[in-house]
Amino acid sequence: MSTRKTVLLLVVVLFAVPAWSKVFVRWTQPVPPPAKRLGVHELAIPWTADALSLSQGAARQGYRVYAEVAIGDASSAAKAAAKVGFAGIIVNSGDSQPDQIDQALRKLRSAYPRLLFLILNPNGKQPQMRGTLIVKRNGVLEATSPTAQPWLDTNLALVRLERAFRPAQTPLYSFAWELTDSLQQQHGPDVKDYALAVAEAGAFDADLVLSLHESLETGMAQNNPGAWAVWDQVKSYLRFSPQHPERRLDPEANVGVVTDDDAASYEPINLLARHNIALRVLRPADLSPRGLEGVDVVVVFSALEKLKAETVTDFAKKGGVAVLVGSQRSLARQSDSGQSAQPVRLSEQSVSYAVGKGRMIELSEPVTDPESFAQDIRRLIDHHKIRISLWNALTTVAVLYRPTGTPRRIVELLNYAEEPLQVQVQVKGSFRSIRFESPEQGCCESLKPTVRDGFTEFVVPSLNVAGRVYLQPESAAPESSRR
Amino acid sequence: MRWSSRIAASLMLASLSAASAHAQDLAYVHKKKFVMGTVFEIVAYDVSPARASAAIEDAFQEIVRLDGIMSNYKSGSDLSRLNRTAHFHAETVPTDLYNVIEESLRYSRLSEGKFDITVGLLVNFWKAIMRGDRAPSSAEEERLRRCVGYEKIVLVPPDGVDLRSPCLQIDLGAIGKGYAVDRAVQVLRLRGISSALVDAGGSTIYGMGSPPGQSAWRVRLRDPSDRIHPEVMMLENSVSTSEQTAPSLLEKDSAGHIIDPESGLPVKTAAAVSAVAKTATASDALSTTLLLLGPKKGRELVKAMLGTAAIWISPDGQVEAASSGPQILLAAENANANDSSR
Repeated sequence: MSTRKTVLLLVVVLFAVPAWSKVFVRWTQPVPPPAKRLGVHELAIPWTADALSLSQGAARQGYRVYAEVAIGDASSAAKAAAKVGFAGIIVNSGDSQPDQIDQALRKLRSAYPRLLFLILNPNGKQPQMRGTLIVKRNGVLEATSPTAQPWLDTNLALVRLERAFRPAQTPLYSFAWELTDSLQQQHGPDVKDYALAVAEAGAFDADLVLSLHESLETGMAQNNPGAWAVWDQVKSYLRFSPQHPERRLDPEANVGVVTDDDAASYEPINLLARHNIALRVLRPADLSPRGLEGVDVVVVFSALEKLKAETVTDFAKKGGVAVLVGSQRSLARQSDSGQSAQPVRLSEQSVSYAVGKGRMIELSEPVTDPESFAQDIRRLIDHHKIRISLWNALTTVAVLYRPTGTPRRIVELLNYAEEPLQVQVQVKGSFRSIRFESPEQGCCESLKPTVRDGFTEFVVPSLNVAGRVYLQPESAAPESSRR
Repeated sequence: MRWSSRIAASLMLASLSAASAHAQDLAYVHKKKFVMGTVFEIVAYDVSPARASAAIEDAFQEIVRLDGIMSNYKSGSDLSRLNRTAHFHAETVPTDLYNVIEESLRYSRLSEGKFDITVGLLVNFWKAIMRGDRAPSSAEEERLRRCVGYEKIVLVPPDGVDLRSPCLQIDLGAIGKGYAVDRAVQVLRLRGISSALVDAGGSTIYGMGSPPGQSAWRVRLRDPSDRIHPEVMMLENSVSTSEQTAPSLLEKDSAGHIIDPESGLPVKTAAAVSAVAKTATASDALSTTLLLLGPKKGRELVKAMLGTAAIWISPDGQVEAASSGPQILLAAENANANDSSR
């Protein structure tokens, strides 16, 4: 590739990757309020007959307007949108194959270089703490179960998979609200539901197309004070994510998940994430010794070619634990692993054998109980290496980041119970300064660190919906000096 | 008797059809709250969704209040204080705490010690092993076993509790949520609600009144075989389910959170037990007790308690059931049932 082309590609990539987390509000009413009033600068307008006129009104109100289209309409929408000043096209991937979308978008990007094309995964979930009731209009069907941890619907697995499969784009997703009872259907989600949705995308470093309930959207369009009272509370969460001081953060990981099949791996990843096990998703093609750096356990869901299989075997030989799921059982033999011990049967489905300083575990079937699997994986991680642990936080998801090239850490916290909770956190490493900020309380409250055995513990006194913790080693420059 | 899916289906259809049309107009309100380490859910039907909503919030507040009394995670709870200070002398406790301990001791006696609220230290010990936080230690296990024994709890009416062991600790995890459900039902009734379902994390559910258009609340029970599909129609009664922690996929010996007080070890059974009783306190206590007793001894206990029923289901579809009143309906054609309740 020529230098000129390389520079051009870099410029394109830099502009294609937006700042930390962006919320696109999906707007359907004739005239949106001014962008400044809404506190959002990106509108996603569904591609309907009114879209062109609506986009012009929205642009006058200060928005960058994106047409939201199905893949089949992307070409015609792009042609029309390019003429009237749309900022871009959000292509709903639906059930299309990734290759099919990528191919279609390559052509469109080439034909309309001024339009930004983004791929939307519409299969997100409303972030929430879920119950077990299945409510129907003619009654309620309830399934009993033994007492279990609260089930959290989070989008972290989706975001991790999107980032692995579409590395050139910040993950972009949307979800449909689940409004089950009479009050919700009439009034829509409450403030904290919107707040959690916005905060979640920010914490996961993803972009979100946010649907508003009809009552809220109409209310704001008609300047209804009640609707604005709701939205003004959501705005503090909208401001919280873009305020993030670090543009480049690397998620920390104890576990590497190798997959090219999100159907088989989605729920296990979902449960690993839900149990706050720091993880990184890799496509088989991207598997390399560098990709597994810092990882203690690698879980392989996909068939690997010989060279990639050797990467996993080498990882185990150096002391790691490799878990081979389903059809990947023969991986070690295939790559001449240097298996040094007889396999030990662990359960009906699994055997383990030593490989160099580490070991391989073969699971003969797909993961049928992701909850147990996630807990098993946590137990496989050397306790002295667990990067983050939480206590009294059954409704909390935490993501640990390291600002690129620094010894600092940032913990993003989300509380799906949406009610104040005291959370105890332990992070690997020694940190002398712990500061907590939240959309509700602003920046920043100093928390008392307790450093012991190579870990730092602290207590977040009141986590409402979302919060962010800055951890600095003693020698690092204070956060405030960089802001 | 062999359970008949046809009879079960007929019963269910008959019960479902006994409904008035105008009742369909009632609004339903569904709320959930994280408390006692799980998600409580309440569904209520009422002509006024606002009234139903307010009543549910009041019921949740009652559960939060009880959590402040019965939690052994919160250092400031009355139970934590009792566990710290009541060794070898009686401490005064709130009425709710006294009542739930008194009820617990009744189940301990009925089950000859299989139900035991003093087993918490061993539960925590095995939970730590399950998490990988510590290695098994027979010496530590033996030390903790000496701390266990419901007989060492002495009630001093009307509100005193004396712990006759230096290390005895009370843990209400096997009964507290049921008690909270009963109290929440009382609050809903006081607020004028007559149709509601109160659910403590799926493990204990109380059906109050019936939903519009129905004669009872239809509840599907836990079925590890996924072949039996048992259901109960709940009407002013409660059902609870207990099951040992699922075994590890990747480890040879995995522990579990339900401990047999007799052996001090996690109980080894893959069966799920559901117990129906008149109150949530009773069903909560019974489900754990019956899991530990097993079907043979469990049947005798069920028969001795009017208004109760129970079902044991193993992952391979083996079913054992018993009843002294309520019916548990099975939908599977080929259920291998063994009902000795009549």
